[in-house]
Amino acid sequence: MRKYSSALILLFCSFLSHAQNRFPKPDFESGYQYPTFRYPVPDETVWMVADLALLVLLMGIVAWSVIRKRRRAPVVLVSVFSVGYFGFFRTGCVCSIGAIQNVALALVDTSYTMPLVVVLFFILPILFTLMFGRVFCAGVCPLGALQELVNVKHYRLSKPLTLVLGLIPWIYLIFAIGFAVTRTGFIICRFDPFIGIFRLGGDLGMIVFGGLLLITSVFTGRPFCRFLCPYGAILSLFSRVSVWKMRLTPSCINCELCHNACPVDAIRPPYGNKVKESRVQGVKRILTYLIFLPAMAVGGAFLLSMTGDSVSRAHKDMQLYDMAVQNEALPQNVLPLELEVFYGQGGTFEDLSLRSETLRADFGRYAAIAGSLVGLVVGLTLISLSLKRTRATYEIDDAACVNCGKCFNYCPQNRINVKPENKKQ
Amino acid sequence: MKKTILRNLTIVSAIFIVTFSIMLITNYFQVRSFNPLQTGVIETLRQINEEHANNTELQEQIRQLDLLARRAYFVSMDHLMTGVYILVGMLLVFIVSLRLYFAGEQQIPGKQVPPADDWAVKTYARGYVHWVAGGLVTATLVFVFFSSPYLKTKPPQQAETLAETEALPSEEAGRESSDYGELPSADAPSVPSPADEQEAAGAEETLPAVEVSKVTHNGFRGNNSNAISSARNVPVQWDLNTKENIAWTTDIPRQGYNSPVINGSRVFITGADEQTRELYCYDLYTGKQLWTLTAEGISGSPSQMPKTSTDTGLAASTVTTNGKQVCAIFASGDLICADMDGKRLWAKNLGVPDNHYGYASSLLVFGNLLIVQYDNHNSPRLMALDMATGTERWNKARTDKITWSSPIIAYVNNQPQLVLMGNPGITAYNPNNGEQYWRVEGLSGEVASSPCSAGGLVFGASEYAALIAVDATTGRTLWQANDFLPEVSSPVATAEHVYLATSYGVLACYDAKTGELKSSHELNTEFYSSPVITEGKLYVFSNSGRMYIYSANSDFRLLHSFETGQATFATPAFTDGKIVVRTQTSLYCVTHSSVNS
Repeated sequence: MRKYSSALILLFCSFLSHAQNRFPKPDFESGYQYPTFRYPVPDETVWMVADLALLVLLMGIVAWSVIRKRRRAPVVLVSVFSVGYFGFFRTGCVCSIGAIQNVALALVDTSYTMPLVVVLFFILPILFTLMFGRVFCAGVCPLGALQELVNVKHYRLSKPLTLVLGLIPWIYLIFAIGFAVTRTGFIICRFDPFIGIFRLGGDLGMIVFGGLLLITSVFTGRPFCRFLCPYGAILSLFSRVSVWKMRLTPSCINCELCHNACPVDAIRPPYGNKVKESRVQGVKRILTYLIFLPAMAVGGAFLLSMTGDSVSRAHKDMQLYDMAVQNEALPQNVLPLELEVFYGQGGTFEDLSLRSETLRADFGRYAAIAGSLVGLVVGLTLISLSLKRTRATYEIDDAACVNCGKCFNYCPQNRINVKPENKKQ
Repeated sequence: MKKTILRNLTIVSAIFIVTFSIMLITNYFQVRSFNPLQTGVIETLRQINEEHANNTELQEQIRQLDLLARRAYFVSMDHLMTGVYILVGMLLVFIVSLRLYFAGEQQIPGKQVPPADDWAVKTYARGYVHWVAGGLVTATLVFVFFSSPYLKTKPPQQAETLAETEALPSEEAGRESSDYGELPSADAPSVPSPADEQEAAGAEETLPAVEVSKVTHNGFRGNNSNAISSARNVPVQWDLNTKENIAWTTDIPRQGYNSPVINGSRVFITGADEQTRELYCYDLYTGKQLWTLTAEGISGSPSQMPKTSTDTGLAASTVTTNGKQVCAIFASGDLICADMDGKRLWAKNLGVPDNHYGYASSLLVFGNLLIVQYDNHNSPRLMALDMATGTERWNKARTDKITWSSPIIAYVNNQPQLVLMGNPGITAYNPNNGEQYWRVEGLSGEVASSPCSAGGLVFGASEYAALIAVDATTGRTLWQANDFLPEVSSPVATAEHVYLATSYGVLACYDAKTGELKSSHELNTEFYSSPVITEGKLYVFSNSGRMYIYSANSDFRLLHSFETGQATFATPAFTDGKIVVRTQTSLYCVTHSSVNS
């Protein structure tokens, strides 16, 4: 396995070197004087302020629209603007989803300086969620907005299946943080499926993946938001306790239109709780899961800690160390480019060796933490699936609702309520 | 009517998008695989230009073609981007028309739909979660299993190269130009690295230009002290008396049983007597003594040398170098380090070792660490010092009885292990901090032989005890054998076999995996020098100075055997096309006569 990965790395390196030499300067001297390169300094401060101002403004518009006015049209307009501005114009960066990694790294590594704009992009949507629910997801996030705009039909997936797929964002979040804090890489950015679309170019595999997600979005609501987005997982925690929540029409006639329309299956139908299972049996199940919850966390920690050494190979320093080990074991006449640079900068094998030890220890520790968190996520999901609820009317699942306001368009009672003449009456 | 137009627009745009996407992807791969500046025409014209450098018309023609190729490439890139814009536009048309087509179509239930059974959904979901959790556990276990050290491919050590060599007796046929392109051959001049260019530049001041080999022999039994050399084009016949294939011979000022070490164009040995202890540097190509460094003025150094046996002496330990510093140790406990030009960097006395034969363990280099196995009766310990400054990095007390063995670095699953013989244990340490990895006991008597390693296994042997194979991943004994055991000479291993030379004249070959004795040769001689494997051949000197060259494979067949002319106890050093040998009184270099002439 390691041999194959080394071969792939070498292939990648050779590709890079090939790419570098693809356009050498013309071979012959003809007296032409090459102009001195001048790089204009971008005025990032202006764009930073503009980004933040627009972020707050757009989230405010969505909050006003869905909570105060109970209308979807402004949300659609915000979505169009967000895809155009944050997506295609600002090419998807800075993004709140990727900011998770910067924040996680800054928390464990004091030497890492995080730009203020990144901090605010991470915190502001959380603050708005605490107040108004997931208004960021509604149409301000260009990824969610793009999926929302292309969505035409909503074919529902099996409900149990969507519940299980809901585990993925949590697991993705745990691993993304793990890779970030070990400085292995920002995998959320690397595997952003829409960045290639916004930039009209990039890794072909990711563009194809993004294209497939968009095609899926045409027929079912927001697959990325529901089954992949790690920031959505974080926001779902805060939206449960938001101060002002989006509500269905009080004069609900149980017509089920909103339930059918919701692209994220966040509207729960009435349920009489006619469970044939005895209460004692249900309590026993929950108690069993509660007892096994620590065991799941410990088991997860143990299992993933065993993978720490192998996973550490993803870190560039470990890859460099492996190259150095190969070179030490069988000295080669021509050093790999990375090693040549490393040694050229005064690095020694001993430095690499010590670094690899530290990295292995770090990965072992973080893998154990990640494993315990995955165990907890699975255990808590099982417990939540063991709770019985009774609902007399349709209710919104505040954790899942993305405040898109689609249900308002479908609700016949809402249409009556928001008509100006009815309001006057 | 409006609906029909929207439907048709949607269908047409969808067909266009699919067709256009396929075309764009095809074009993308074509553009990516096309290297505009390496077309056959340009390459041919360039070759012609190299032969006729002053043809301005030809150069202008190449320049025009070059420009044309660049322009064509960027035009195709522009077309690709234009295609992307068109695709995005059509996607917009598709989405808008599709949305408009379905606008106002609400999924109104035809009749009263019974609400979904929430509990049944949760029950199913719990079942799915159980399956997913089980799947995750299984996937993790499979990942752990397949990435476990037991299944990992062996590190690309010299042993692996040798394993391939065993399968391919004619290794010349499989040579890669990148590996061996630096041989001192008139047909293929080498391109030295910047570091060695500097080194070579130093030599050029006094010598004719020579190609310095990158293959080093940095300590006792070579790099990592593992007796495997990647040297190529090594001579297989020489004679001191007739000077056949002898590049040079030089007398050694003072006696020593240590072995020569080669780095770049320098050869290092030491010599000592009751009065003086010295580190010598010779030129690999001429045999000229470049410098001598005397171990003197060292704080704690004894005024009277410790007593040693005649077959050990005061300079039995082989020096080591990392290409920047060279360090030597003597039986008095004096340790000195110099730069490659002989400038003393630091020196210290480690305490006179209480050793009834005389201190004999060789130094070992690991990166910038100098590893010293300081086994003695008083305070046996293992220490790592900074090669450049002499600062102690770590120090571990040893519990084993005194030995005369030398440490090695074994690469196990690409991780370095510092392996030491002891009495009674073979012990592996982390070379970075001295932390013990594993320990296996089973040796006894006077342990002088050093360990060796290949394919994740470590082998150690002592006379009257056993040859022990240890799985270095787990630290468990794999097998033991005691058919033939070495006294002073150290074994050498490939992925398949372990070879050893005994002091009663037997060369033996064991199966590395099972310990089965594959073959043995009774030679009626005595071996103190250790065998070294290079190019699939095992080289070993008898004490009388007879060289035996065997095939290092399952045949273990005698390829060459000849008298060299002088008694030899040291282990020879190998580099491309050369062998440096230390005899009782002299140092000489073997090379091919054609190169020599």
